[in-house]
Amino acid sequence: MGGSIPAAQRRSICQSPPVFDRSSYSVDDPNQQGYDYSNNDPYNKQYNYSQPIAYSTPGMMQQQAYTGQIFQPTQTYTPSASQSMYNSTFDDEPPLLEELGINFDHIWQKTLTVLHPLKAADGSIMNETDLAGPMVFCLAFGATLLLSGKIQFGYVYGISAIGCLAMYCLLNLMSMTGVSFGCVASVLGYCLLPMIVLSSFGVLFSLQGLMGVIITASIIGWCSLSASKIFISALAMDGQQLLVAYPCALLYGVFALISVF
Amino acid sequence: MDASDASQLFEDTSGARHGSQAGYKPQTGDHGFPGFSDPMSNLAMAYGSSLATQGKELMDKNLDRFIPISKLKYYFAVDTVYVGKKLGLLVFPYMHENWEVNYQQDIPVAPRFDVNAPDLYIPTMGFITYILVAGLALGTQNKFSPELLGVQASSAFVWLVMEVLAVLLSLYLVTVNTDLTTIDLLAFAGYKYVGMIVGVVLGLLFGRLVYYLSLLWCCAAIFVFMIRTLRLKLLSESAAEGRLVRGTRNQLRMYLTMAIAAAQPVFMYWLTFHLVR
Repeated sequence: MGGSIPAAQRRSICQSPPVFDRSSYSVDDPNQQGYDYSNNDPYNKQYNYSQPIAYSTPGMMQQQAYTGQIFQPTQTYTPSASQSMYNSTFDDEPPLLEELGINFDHIWQKTLTVLHPLKAADGSIMNETDLAGPMVFCLAFGATLLLSGKIQFGYVYGISAIGCLAMYCLLNLMSMTGVSFGCVASVLGYCLLPMIVLSSFGVLFSLQGLMGVIITASIIGWCSLSASKIFISALAMDGQQLLVAYPCALLYGVFALISVF
Repeated sequence: MDASDASQLFEDTSGARHGSQAGYKPQTGDHGFPGFSDPMSNLAMAYGSSLATQGKELMDKNLDRFIPISKLKYYFAVDTVYVGKKLGLLVFPYMHENWEVNYQQDIPVAPRFDVNAPDLYIPTMGFITYILVAGLALGTQNKFSPELLGVQASSAFVWLVMEVLAVLLSLYLVTVNTDLTTIDLLAFAGYKYVGMIVGVVLGLLFGRLVYYLSLLWCCAAIFVFMIRTLRLKLLSESAAEGRLVRGTRNQLRMYLTMAIAAAQPVFMYWLTFHLVR
């Protein structure tokens, strides 16, 4: 088969699997490969690859098992396909939130830890990295900035990415035990909460006077103290709280710059 | 109709092929699928995270070859007391008497326990703070833009690298037997950022005269600091103790030490004068 089959006919070939010759789509045939994926390359490769991989996150060996099933158009992509894969009834599945890893109780606990910067933190709360809370806080920060007329979601995300990377490198070098990137991102994201308070102030009054400078400085201090407190307790670093708080203060200072100017 | 046909097309033609190749790794891992519903994006996220893990492992393996992580960790083993004392030394080195680095069985003691040992925390934080303060200073002159931050950062970094290379070259030419490593030199070169930041911040707060005075003070301080620290590392033992030792080798080393120390104020002025107008 070459590249000469028109689109309409191509569709009908794919809709009738018995006629469809699976071997003709092997890697060894460059023409076939070129033909099949020339038009829908971006979607095909990524879309279909993600499906078997995602089904097989429990184990890569299941990839082979699923190819046959994906192959048949009757069992093509529908939301209920996932349940048929598990071969279990609907009731046996874990609840959705648990499956997604969103635990509201822990999120609330972590938020409370951030809101009380002077109270000692429990080191074990950071054991599971949870990025749902930080994502919500980033979005809320961007939204409050939007309320004061600054459309700067890009800067917020860019600065958080660079800041998380820098903190990750620094903490790995400074601590005895290493730290994962997800943990760093999670902590820094949670401690963004007071910054949301600052930017909502900025919606109501201008932050450029003396009062604004004082409020900004105190909120930066609050954010960095909570972040360093959580890092210290989670990584068991002693005598280094101010050293960890300083880079956090630099990072939150940049966020404050965005919300003030 | 077309959409469902398109999805069926994707299903049938690609699923088997990609599934049967366990080792196939498409190069683009992250992309949005605006048209597809949530289970698909969850699957895409799971795939993306597995790709990220693989990339991270690859990077970890290769990073260790270029940057010796364990050696770097020594320079970051600091605590708040050390940093406080060191900052004080950088601004006021005149009262400190014992500049020798303590050793423990041939291994230098961690900076936590010896205030004379070089560290990399202060230079790194100093560099980043310098960039942010430069951005602030340019902002007050109404010349700020994010690209300018990048320009400042890269030019300061290039000057730093050139200085370290120049010192390395001169150490090589003078054939000094010293245990100064490249990272030590990087640390010493980075200590001047503290003085620069002090000068610029005071200049922004109180005006140009205060900038000049504070910069002068910090330049003198860093000059003395460098001389006293490098003297012990570069000169022979008797010369370091202050006794006059004749001989061209020692004279050459003395000149080298003074040149390195004198370069610091020059850089400090060069990198900050355009920030305080």
